Amino acid sequence: MKAFARAYARNKGAVAGAMVVVLVGLVAALAGWLFPFSPWDMQGAPFRPPGDTDFLLGSDSLGRDVAAGIAYGARVSLLIGGVSTAVALLLGVTLGAVAGYAGGVLDDVTMRFTEFFQTVPSFVLAIVLVAIFSPSLGSIVVAIAIVSWPPVTRVIRAEFLSLRSREFVQAAHVLGHSHTTIVFREILPNALAPLIVLASLMVANAILLESGLSFLGLGDPNLMSWGFMIGAGRSVIRLAWWMSVFPGLAIFLTVLALNLIGEGLGDALNPRLAHRR
Amino acid sequence: MAPARLARLLAQRVVKIVAVVLAIAVTNFLLIHAAPGDPASVIAGESGAADPQLMAQLRAQFGLDQPLTTQLALYLNHVLHGDLGTSFRQGRPVAELILERLPATLLLTLTAFLFAIVTGITLGAMAAQRVGRIADSVITVLALGFYATPLFWVGLMLVLLFSVWLNWLPSFGMNTIAAGYTGWVAIADIGQHLILPALTLGLFYMAIYARLTRASMLEVASQDFVRTARAKGVPEGRILRRHVLRNALLPVVTFAGIQAGQLIGGSILVETVFAWPGIGRLAFDALLARDYQVLLGVFLCTSVLVVLFNLLTDLLYVMIDPRVQTP
Amino acid sequence: MLDLTRRSLIVGAASTGLAPTLLTSGLARAQGTPKRGGTLTTILTPEPPILVLGVNNQGPTTLAAGKLFQGLLEYSFKLEPMPLLAKSWSLSDDKKTYTFKLQDNVKFHDGHPLTADDVIFSITKFHTELSPRARPIFSKIKEATAPDPHTVILTLETPFDPFLLMFDVSACAIVAKHIYDGTEYRSNPANQHPIGTGPFQFVEWQRGNFVRMKRFDDYWMPGEPHLDEIIYRIIPDSQSRALALETGQVQLTQSNDIEPFDVPRFRAMPNLETELQGWEYASQISWIEVNHRVKPLDDVRVRQAISHALDRNFILSKLWFGIGKVATGPIASTTRFYDPHVAKLQAYDPNKAKELLDAAGLKPNAKGVRFTIKQLALPYGEVWTRLAEYFRTALGHVGIEVVLETNDAGAWAKRIGDWDYETSTNFLSQFGDPTLGVERSYISSNIKKITFTNTGGYNNPKVDHLFTTARESGDPAVRAEAFSEVQAILCEEVPQIWLMELAWPTIHDRKLHNVIRSAMGPNAAFGQVYFE
Repeated sequence: MKAFARAYARNKGAVAGAMVVVLVGLVAALAGWLFPFSPWDMQGAPFRPPGDTDFLLGSDSLGRDVAAGIAYGARVSLLIGGVSTAVALLLGVTLGAVAGYAGGVLDDVTMRFTEFFQTVPSFVLAIVLVAIFSPSLGSIVVAIAIVSWPPVTRVIRAEFLSLRSREFVQAAHVLGHSHTTIVFREILPNALAPLIVLASLMVANAILLESGLSFLGLGDPNLMSWGFMIGAGRSVIRLAWWMSVFPGLAIFLTVLALNLIGEGLGDALNPRLAHRR
Repeated sequence: MAPARLARLLAQRVVKIVAVVLAIAVTNFLLIHAAPGDPASVIAGESGAADPQLMAQLRAQFGLDQPLTTQLALYLNHVLHGDLGTSFRQGRPVAELILERLPATLLLTLTAFLFAIVTGITLGAMAAQRVGRIADSVITVLALGFYATPLFWVGLMLVLLFSVWLNWLPSFGMNTIAAGYTGWVAIADIGQHLILPALTLGLFYMAIYARLTRASMLEVASQDFVRTARAKGVPEGRILRRHVLRNALLPVVTFAGIQAGQLIGGSILVETVFAWPGIGRLAFDALLARDYQVLLGVFLCTSVLVVLFNLLTDLLYVMIDPRVQTP
Repeated sequence: MLDLTRRSLIVGAASTGLAPTLLTSGLARAQGTPKRGGTLTTILTPEPPILVLGVNNQGPTTLAAGKLFQGLLEYSFKLEPMPLLAKSWSLSDDKKTYTFKLQDNVKFHDGHPLTADDVIFSITKFHTELSPRARPIFSKIKEATAPDPHTVILTLETPFDPFLLMFDVSACAIVAKHIYDGTEYRSNPANQHPIGTGPFQFVEWQRGNFVRMKRFDDYWMPGEPHLDEIIYRIIPDSQSRALALETGQVQLTQSNDIEPFDVPRFRAMPNLETELQGWEYASQISWIEVNHRVKPLDDVRVRQAISHALDRNFILSKLWFGIGKVATGPIASTTRFYDPHVAKLQAYDPNKAKELLDAAGLKPNAKGVRFTIKQLALPYGEVWTRLAEYFRTALGHVGIEVVLETNDAGAWAKRIGDWDYETSTNFLSQFGDPTLGVERSYISSNIKKITFTNTGGYNNPKVDHLFTTARESGDPAVRAEAFSEVQAILCEEVPQIWLMELAWPTIHDRKLHNVIRSAMGPNAAFGQVYFE
């Protein structure tokens, strides 16, 4: 663990990423204290540029505080990103492990099922799902999770397929370890590195997906999310660039940070690589 | 691999493809019909006037007055006979509508895909080779940057820069209409219109490929057989090409197999921003208008494309990694 | 108020040699000498499914098909009828028989001459079968005859004062009998290649890309049209549309092409001209749609309170950037029989709103919330989303908690039609006369499970009676009285909470002339439009 922390700490990008995510988390937690009013409330004149006495990051077309929106939006974006990724990972890893380890009919069935979800363009499917269930936090999370798990399954399965025939796994078989032991102690840890990289991509992807849905007018109208803010601001981009630039930056930084963390974790979890450095 | 085995693999796959396509047809049919509202209510909503007679007329014309199971049976029967039906709204065969718009999407997505895979793998390999150094950091941050920026946002920024400020490239559409261009001029004209949307779509996926290639190459580079090769004194460049890159492409290929579907999803956004007349936008408009036949047709068509792509991926897989048994 | 009927008896003797628009007052004067040639590139959004009016009557359809097809009449900004395919018309003394004289030498794009048979077919069969708007009106026609190929006589069962407002291209485009008679209108192959009498003929339509039409050389009006081609580009994204206009890739935008917040920018550009006229016939009014079946919205005090809680001037200036007018009642100020003396809505006054809610027994709880309602946002563009957000905030200030719902257009229309909403937002066209476009939302006999009926379920026998009187009387004075009374009642009861009289900016290159010349606005046939 110490070695891991040291390896991680050696990656400056990863440390910076962790700091950004912590900062975003803090802002999200303290949103109510920093901005003790609803982000939907009109706080003054519309279209005030950033640096205005009332508005640090400017105000939007209805005189709402962009800074407050970003603070409250952090909650929503992190929530959507985190929850949908967790759901997708659970689904994807389970199916991928079953398929890759068990092989045979189970593999076949699982892969058909996965293929089925992959053959439908994921963004299109997400749009259809959100349209059917009406845009809300729940439907958006579910839709994102449903379209996000197949890559996990495929990557995990590929890793399993490849690892299954490796010497150390075969050795474990010979030694008489149970399937569960082999899966959880031998294979899964070895498949962890690509998974973590993938997971960091997925949280980021979920945040991006949500903004794409919002862009097409399929966001939750009661939640101030960054995606929603860009959606609302992008049409007035030349009138009030700050309305879409700041939430865009927030997404950019958060997604970037998440990816840097993933990268750092990936590197740190790969002991030989850490050693080579 | 023996030709007989390959043939058997292909035959198995064709059967599976038919099964998957049918499953997709049924599921999507039910899914789409579960959406609130139907084409008649949309048309009524848009016309600014409606009465029961109009609704009844429309529903009868579209066959929506039949029980759902009858509609499904009819639809499947038609699909199996290669007939995708007729658009409720436009009164034209769905196959015709799709074929009309498919080339635009294929042009956009394939260009974006090629750009993404070539630059992505190159950048990823470069970064992996120089891990921890400046070049690695620059490439990584660049890739992350494009990955971390919403697609449509990149599109808007590119438009702002190249169309509004520099006035170099057209901001929307696929060609200059009624300009009477022919031959190379027409192709150049389309090419000019293609640059921004393809770049927008491609940069995002380039970022993915770069990241995947890098991560995967580092992973492979630390494995035993690479160390063995190195210990045997195989030149570093050869190790990289023959051993590392080849094995590292596995996850990249896995991902690329999914791209056919993903790219079409992404192309909805790009087609929206750039008014690109492709099937992504066709699907979105069809969804909003509850034009079931068109939406189902697009789903089926892209699904078939993706299934074929996956088959290709599987074959590639076998070729790259001999350890993988054919399923 | 206009005495429309009498004037239309006097007017209406335009010969083809004269520009008909010069005859009537209140019209934009022709500017300079028209020049031949040029391609007008403009925008069509969203893409219509079909370009034959009647088969489809959406806004974008009318916009593009209005160049291909024509009605018998057009209307001036003051809604006086003007000759188009009908060069003159008259009304009998018993106000039941209308006689239209058609223009000479009118040809369809396939070369067939237009005759009275085509007109009668279009009115009594084509639109009567297809169009929910035309059906109830044209079914009043007892007899339609053609004494000669250029005369159409329509005899009504009873006098119907707004009858002449039903002959523009959006209500009754004249189609070719030889193409449609005896066929299934909706699936006729000709729908893919529209044949009309308009100054422009259909050339090609690349779905999702553009519609192209070219000058019709055999057009009946000598010397017109001036343009060689019109191209409608399909551009789904509002910012791309704005950009297209800004960079000159299109020379004209109309309807909702340009979002309100972009309009001030374009207004300031010296090479562009922004016109707000041309929507008098449609005269759309927006409102908060209230479902009277949902408590406590059935309480008139609650509706009044909501009306008091909304700052319509804020909506006009901050959401619509000053484009349009604040609504004063159910009838738009540009529609006939609007009575400014009685049309007065609840002024913006949150305190008054709170008093009314208190009086209705709706006291705030510990959190300051009196009750919670849902608002189903209108899915027709961003500004409507902003409106729903404003609605939530404004009502929040008087203690009404609003939860927003969004659905796409398909689900929205379905839910409104099924009465499956608490409040929503809506806007409807008035078609020049309250009988044609206003009464449908308020009379109890029109409470139906269909969009654009009285979906809110408002029921007031007095209002029913007044609308019926106005509909059935052939006497404008009687109608005016009934409409004034109904406006007074409705303003008091606010069955729907009217917000704004909408206006849609037409923005075009200053080199483009004669764009907006009638109440048809950009839906007109554009025969006179020319580039400098």
